[in-house]
Amino acid sequence: MNQRVRITSPQTRLALRRRSDAMRRVDRAGRPPMSSTAIDMEAAERALKRQRRLALRTGLLLAALLAVLLVAAGLSSGRWGWAVLFLAPYPLLLALAAAHVRRAERIEADS
Amino acid sequence: MLGLASISLVLVASVVIGVWGVRAARSTPDFLVASRRIVPGWNAMAIAGEYVSAASVLGLAGLLVKNGVGAMWYGVGFTAGYVLVAALVAGPMRRSGAYTVPDFAEYRLGSRRIRRMCGLVVLVIMLLYLIPQFKAAGVVLELVSGVPYWVGVVGAGLVVSSTIAVGGMRSATYVQAFHYLLKLAFIAVPALFLIFLAGPERREQAFAPTGLDPDWARPLLDLDGAGQPVLSTVSILIATTLGAMGLPHVVMRFHTVAGARAARRVAVGVIVLLGVFYLFPVVYGLLGRVVAPNPSETDVVTVLVPGEIAPGMVGAVLTALVAAGAFAAFLSTSSGLLLALAGGLSHDLFGGSLSRLRAGVAAGTGLAVALALPAAEVDINVLVGWAFAVAASTFCPLLTLGIWWRGLTAGGATAGLLVGVGTSTGAAMVTVLTDLEPGAVSVLLAQPAIWTVPLAFATMILASRPAAIPEWADESVLRLHLPGRLSRSGELLSPEQLR
Repeated sequence: MNQRVRITSPQTRLALRRRSDAMRRVDRAGRPPMSSTAIDMEAAERALKRQRRLALRTGLLLAALLAVLLVAAGLSSGRWGWAVLFLAPYPLLLALAAAHVRRAERIEADS
Repeated sequence: MLGLASISLVLVASVVIGVWGVRAARSTPDFLVASRRIVPGWNAMAIAGEYVSAASVLGLAGLLVKNGVGAMWYGVGFTAGYVLVAALVAGPMRRSGAYTVPDFAEYRLGSRRIRRMCGLVVLVIMLLYLIPQFKAAGVVLELVSGVPYWVGVVGAGLVVSSTIAVGGMRSATYVQAFHYLLKLAFIAVPALFLIFLAGPERREQAFAPTGLDPDWARPLLDLDGAGQPVLSTVSILIATTLGAMGLPHVVMRFHTVAGARAARRVAVGVIVLLGVFYLFPVVYGLLGRVVAPNPSETDVVTVLVPGEIAPGMVGAVLTALVAAGAFAAFLSTSSGLLLALAGGLSHDLFGGSLSRLRAGVAAGTGLAVALALPAAEVDINVLVGWAFAVAASTFCPLLTLGIWWRGLTAGGATAGLLVGVGTSTGAAMVTVLTDLEPGAVSVLLAQPAIWTVPLAFATMILASRPAAIPEWADESVLRLHLPGRLSRSGELLSPEQLR
């Protein structure tokens, strides 16, 4: 009987092992697969709080932005009604997301 | 005939790129997320390519002609969702190391039951989303080649499932990125030509019209004339914005970049790409109102406009380009969806292998084709709207609370998912099966996100008993927010993760 053996380089073996780690399921006690290295819980706690505040802020700004657009759309009609939704939303959405990412990365650099 | 030829060309190009990437499809993770080796720029383009579906290319313009300028809110909502993706989910999801939403749910909540539940929700969302894609393929093929609707739908099913079965997602990433460019080129370039060819009179009528029906010209969505424009606009906006965050096939794509930071940036890139794209369906819609005001099938307005404006050879060529763009939209979205659906079927529900994954693709296609046949009469955007409403009522609360709130428990999440999927699909079914008087109630059932999303959030929060929070919950949440260098372990970190 011929059996096919897969020959892999050390890098590939490492990559495969990492992949199978990520695929590992919850253990019997229900604990999910987490890296066994200790983390600085206090620093992580601070990072979470700052990121959460930032995320909340972005969410509220987005809601406010859409509300303003909605009011503007409700007030406009006739010939140029379509122009409100054509020109305004996308640059504003992009600015909001870009500002969030910049701040989130700054928080990560600090923590 | 020209239309059919250009569609075939799109198809051949997709298959060639797909086969070029076939080497990657060797193990399940390879097949699903392309081994995390995809460059961010390609990835953003792939997400946009997969996301700009038939709903955007065909449905938006059709709805604009039929219902009014308010249809543009769909584009706004589809894009606004990525602000939330960047802010709430992209980074932490990438750090969780999970491949799919069900994977994430298992990681965060430590329960295999919830993984299977999420797998079922994935199936519901993906199917609701796939049906309008196949409908789009059917109507476009019917228009350009004259084959019956059902032949187009079945043919499209065969094409898509065989493309995926040989390629997998690595190829899909390049195919999707290619499709974004293709869609942009095939929709944008003819649009510019058509604006020019329409001539000053028709241009004025289309872009600065006078004497319009005020209901049509007001940029709010009043579906089926229910007389509730604000309510339905807000509800559709909630569904599309929050639903984008919960779409399983989009979330999956963030695992193909190197780290959390890159994942976030990919989301911002997607906003740019979508913002550019969504300008063009509006052009077709506004021109369509002038040159094709009463089409027998509103969802093909985009493909009808070139022929109406430019008769003869020029019109035929432009029609062929637009039809190819529409078919590319169908092909890219449906292959992404089918892959996520197959992932749900095999990986999350049955513990997968590659052959099962391929069987999953075939099964998903069959189901979607079968359901698309009777759906010929339903507007594409209405069907897509339901898929978004279900995603917004299920995975949006699950991911938001799971990532940012340690108090979420498996019990709470299960209850919230059941309530979310039950109410949102229930409302859609009532709309399909009954004939309600147009009014506030019919709007709340046809566009249920405005009440089902808060309900699902509230259920998850209230049903999460503090006593049921496991001791490791703290750590599993905190790890989602740690920059790479704070959690260094034995594994090699890429430069992207270290930054």
